[in-house]
Amino acid sequence: MNQLAPIIATLRRHKVAAFLIGMEIALACAVLCNACFMVVSRIQAMQVHSGVDESSLAVVTLTGFDPAQASDLNARILDGLRRIPGVQSASVVNAVPFGQPAGNAGISLDPDGKHRAAVPHFYVGSPGAMEALGVKLVEGRRFSADDFHPMNSFVPDSPASVVVTRTLADHLWPDGKSLGKMFYVDRLSFRVIGVVEHLSRPTAGEEGPQSFDWSVLAAGTPGAKFAGSYLLRADPAQLSRVLREAKEAVATVAPDAVLDEENSQSISDLRTAYFRQDKAMAGMLVGIIVGMLMVTALGIVGLASFWVQQRRRQIGIRRAIGATRGDILRYFQTENFLIVSGGIAVGMVLAFFLNVMLMQRYEMPRMPFFYLPVGALALWSLGQLSVLAPALRAAATPPVVAMRSS
Amino acid sequence: MFGYYFDLAIRSLRRNPVLTALMVLAIAVGIGASMTTLTVLTLLSGDPIPSRSGVLYYPQVDPDTSKDDSREPTDVLDYPSAVDMWRAKRADRQTLLVETGMKTMAPQSTARPVMAPTLVTTADFFPMFAVPFRYGHGWSADDDERRARVAVISAELNNKLFGDVDSTGKTLRVRDVDFTIVGVLDHWRPRPQFYTVRGGRMAAGDTASYYQRPQDVFMPFFTGLDVGRGTFGVYNCWQLPDDFTKLETSACNWVTLWAELDTSAKAHDYARFVADYAAQQKAMGRFSHAGNTRMRNLMQWLSFNRVVPADVSLQAWLAFAFLAICLFNTVGLLLAKFMRRSGEIGVRRALGATRGGIFMQCLVEAGVIGLVGGVGGLLLTLLGLWLVRQQPAAYADLAHLDPAMFLVTFGLSIAAAMLAGILPAYRASRVAPGLQLKTL
Amino acid sequence: MLKMTHLSKVYRTEVVETYALRDFNIDVKEGEFVAVTGPSGSGKTTFLTIAGLLETFTGGTYHLDNVEVSKLDDNARSRIRNEKIGFIFQAFNLIPDLNVFDNVEVPLRYRGMKAAERKQRIMDALERVGLASRAKHYPAELSGGQQQRVAIARALAGSPRLLLADEPTGNLDTQMARSVLELLEDIHREGATIVMVTHDPELAARAQRNVHIIDGQVVDLAEDPRFHTHAHTAEANS
Repeated sequence: MNQLAPIIATLRRHKVAAFLIGMEIALACAVLCNACFMVVSRIQAMQVHSGVDESSLAVVTLTGFDPAQASDLNARILDGLRRIPGVQSASVVNAVPFGQPAGNAGISLDPDGKHRAAVPHFYVGSPGAMEALGVKLVEGRRFSADDFHPMNSFVPDSPASVVVTRTLADHLWPDGKSLGKMFYVDRLSFRVIGVVEHLSRPTAGEEGPQSFDWSVLAAGTPGAKFAGSYLLRADPAQLSRVLREAKEAVATVAPDAVLDEENSQSISDLRTAYFRQDKAMAGMLVGIIVGMLMVTALGIVGLASFWVQQRRRQIGIRRAIGATRGDILRYFQTENFLIVSGGIAVGMVLAFFLNVMLMQRYEMPRMPFFYLPVGALALWSLGQLSVLAPALRAAATPPVVAMRSS
Repeated sequence: MFGYYFDLAIRSLRRNPVLTALMVLAIAVGIGASMTTLTVLTLLSGDPIPSRSGVLYYPQVDPDTSKDDSREPTDVLDYPSAVDMWRAKRADRQTLLVETGMKTMAPQSTARPVMAPTLVTTADFFPMFAVPFRYGHGWSADDDERRARVAVISAELNNKLFGDVDSTGKTLRVRDVDFTIVGVLDHWRPRPQFYTVRGGRMAAGDTASYYQRPQDVFMPFFTGLDVGRGTFGVYNCWQLPDDFTKLETSACNWVTLWAELDTSAKAHDYARFVADYAAQQKAMGRFSHAGNTRMRNLMQWLSFNRVVPADVSLQAWLAFAFLAICLFNTVGLLLAKFMRRSGEIGVRRALGATRGGIFMQCLVEAGVIGLVGGVGGLLLTLLGLWLVRQQPAAYADLAHLDPAMFLVTFGLSIAAAMLAGILPAYRASRVAPGLQLKTL
Repeated sequence: MLKMTHLSKVYRTEVVETYALRDFNIDVKEGEFVAVTGPSGSGKTTFLTIAGLLETFTGGTYHLDNVEVSKLDDNARSRIRNEKIGFIFQAFNLIPDLNVFDNVEVPLRYRGMKAAERKQRIMDALERVGLASRAKHYPAELSGGQQQRVAIARALAGSPRLLLADEPTGNLDTQMARSVLELLEDIHREGATIVMVTHDPELAARAQRNVHIIDGQVVDLAEDPRFHTHAHTAEANS
């Protein structure tokens, strides 16, 4: 580092160029940290646990049938679906994860409804649906025959036995004692008989990321107000064939109904479709990051090459008076390190303020601190890599150029 | 002189093809990214109906007895309030609307029944929102009152059912009820689909669905309520309804009212009418509070709902930050390039070039880079918009470059490059006139 | 034509002040051919850059064509350089990217001349230096003498009244140097004022008048015993 003083002295004479590269690095650092954070957040969001056996499940949805015929329709369709080879189970549901939501409702823990406690999503399943979903029971019991009530509202008749997710139970009863507890929606009442590990709601909740897992599962008897959506379970390898045959079967069994193609898919496909926008956004962000790093690298290469060319004679003189190739190489590397470090110092401050702005405008969470050193490390490496080629060219300058006049 | 500078710029750029390519590339990617996002942003953030947005208003009262005046009223109205205000006919035009989906087919067509996105609305909908017709027309106020079984369909549904022919007079079967088609819309794609916008504040920026195509079937409001009974969704309820098929008497918000008020005086009067209505309902005991009535005009309503998807504006921000990085890069490279030529510049100064002349010469060179970068940027913008169209968002099909944005692309590119050129050109113009080709 | 009175030029750094010119007086009449000689570092080149309005000075006055130039702004100085002064540099200073024609064109461009007149003047000037056939060549394709003749053509094309030459033959061999000098003499005969800096006594001897600079001051050769012999030789030669 004995070269530090002359390098700083030289940089002071190239203030403008050094400042420009520094600012480029600073901006790149600010954008890089925040964009990486956004990409990671999106990818994390896409990892949400639905709690169900996605690869074994599909849903078939019908609309446009006469409600008066619904009971009969349920029976005929369930029968038709169960005849398809490979179907392990068929049941009626009101919604599935990543599908169309059926009922979000505000619940309270007191019968008067004075205190709104949460807004979960209410799933309803006919006998066999809970088992087919594959949700993992961590407390209490599964539904028994007595728990299934007919539906006259958007949920089974009160008091309805329900299973809730762990996160919802912990939110409602932080003491951990949720079994047997009651909650209410207006005059409807619900009793918790079990807790499952995860069951994500169809679409994200409005009460923060954790509310994505705020679901209630109730037991309903198929009927006029509980018809149209059918959950299929099959071996993952056979699922796409089963789904295709199920659509055909439904068309034969219920020719008057309209098949809702968008909501007749495997749960994995619904999941993919649900997160497609996030994936596209993450892709766009990665594109910006790559483009930005490329442009920054090319800028460093361009300017470093120019400086090398400009100082060719000076380098020759240094070589003539005894500097080794390594000395010259290190000179340019150190110079680059200094400029990039300056840029990073400013860039970290910028990154922080950019994050604050994004938090205000786009309700983005605070960026964890460790993105800053990671971003810095990335830019230091980028700088060193970019300057390598011009620096090697500088190091290759023969001492004899010192003797030639410019 | 411009021609001379232009000629010099071309020579200079051709002499360092690699450096030139670097600068052009930097400008092109920066412009491509910015213009792609800017095009999408302007497409989505514009006025959906410029000729009429100034006279369209969104009245709101708050029938929700579980809330009070300190809160915003709910985004849509309950049935009694909406219909009362509509029947009062206090605006130049007014329309009620509810969105739903109903099984629809044409007996004369072989097409299978579909769940058609349907809007039940009143006669003023079409003139109020300047909806274009290809064939026929809307229905009359009288049709609304006598619950006539008439319908207007979209050009797209018409094509699907009948082909591109005048289908007025033909029959449309909706949930086993026959309607006579009285009108077929022309292509109509307001962005956003402003008349059904609501709930944006709760959407956490995920508002792409506001940019869906308009509905396929339009039918008179009261006719539609009868025929579509049971298909209507609610925005929210403050008491659980006994029967979701009898929403008219429920404690639910589900009906939208729009008013057209041609002067600000009328708008002022109407706002008072809305407030008076709420006060009267409170006096009657139906409302618990009447102090939070609202009457935003269309653009205020859209801005209140933050209709532009957060991702879209976020992308635009990022793209412009990227452009800024590209410009810093270009400034650095131009500086290097011009200072490398300081010998030549010194000679030119000695031969009589003024500082302004050198400045202009350098700026023209930067402008040429911008122009070439603009061509690259345009190609990248077209590519970027193609990528946007592959996205699943409801607005994806809208992402096309219009002539104005085409020009903006070049303008922005040249302006950006010249901006980047100012500092290097200034520094070049300060080179002293010199007798020797000195090295720096 | 060119008159400097008590002119001084000081280079200041943080530590020292260096006088490049001190109480410098010279008067070159219209139509004169003056050679400026002196040892290295004496201030010859500084004098020439100030005379050519390439640099400003610190004190005294400088009248060029009866105009006091210290009052002029940068644009006015550029205009005078362009219209009244022609430069011939030791290092030729042709712009390598431009061919011969375009190099000669540079000062005419800055004068805002019409294309037809430019072409006429350029071809006349190239004709004059015997390089009309090389108009499309680039400097790198020419010999040193040819390059210097292009530089002279560039200086001539604008019909300057004052021609400033800095060691115009410094980079040339004897034969080429001679032909360049003959060219300068021709130009002088046609009425141009020429001021030539050189350290070559033979070249200086061809001028009408010699001015010697030592330590930033003009020295009268006739009165300085150190130069008597030399001065006589010069007189004898002319």
